[in-house]
Amino acid sequence: MKSIIENDGRLLKEVSNKLISDLKEKGVDTDIIFDIHVGFEEALRNAMIHGNKEDIGKKVMIETENTGRKVVICVEDEGEGFDPERLPDPTLDENLLKESGRGVYLISHLMDEVRYEKGGRRVVMVKYTDRKHL
Amino acid sequence: MQIKAEEKNGVTVFKIFGDIDINSSPDVKKSFDKSITRDKNKVVISLENVGYVDSSGLATLVEIYKNLRTYAGKLKLTNLSDKVRGLFEITKLDKLFEIVPTEQEAVDGFSD
Repeated sequence: MKSIIENDGRLLKEVSNKLISDLKEKGVDTDIIFDIHVGFEEALRNAMIHGNKEDIGKKVMIETENTGRKVVICVEDEGEGFDPERLPDPTLDENLLKESGRGVYLISHLMDEVRYEKGGRRVVMVKYTDRKHL
Repeated sequence: MQIKAEEKNGVTVFKIFGDIDINSSPDVKKSFDKSITRDKNKVVISLENVGYVDSSGLATLVEIYKNLRTYAGKLKLTNLSDKVRGLFEITKLDKLFEIVPTEQEAVDGFSD
């Protein structure tokens, strides 16, 4: 499913809740849904706040696909992109007290595959939903 | 999201009901800013009724931890679900926060 939404933080939960209810309806394991929930919302938030810099005139493109074996989610913003490799490691002792910088780290640990495209403007996340991958 | 507070042996136990995320984090922060003082600096937060925490929620808990330190206070978290606890482990925030299995153990721990 493809959708383009306005860069409005109030839409974040609406879009996320829809994906999560769809996955629940399909009987996806609740632990897997939790990981997808966090990963998807972190990616959306990054796109809206860091990518599109909270510019209400910009858009966020979302693609989701549930093959029954895996869920593939793409989130793309209209910002300048970023290099995830250059982000500080939030788990280092000197960064533990920082109040930001954990979103990308959570995505990389909760999703099974993550790749950034278009200079970081687009993130593609894969979560396997069949038990064989657990 | 709702927060209920009660005193137990000089310890303030906060119970949060609902998600701690980008929407509720400002309210959580405001509520704790009002409640925590130099005299009320022994704090337990029960996450028994919290099913979802995002990076904003984690950041808010870090802020509460930092505020408590300025009052020479201490914070313990309790009743975390396995998935929520996993977020603390992934981000290594389990090194920062004292995470205790039950509310009773958390409260009793302050008198040790």
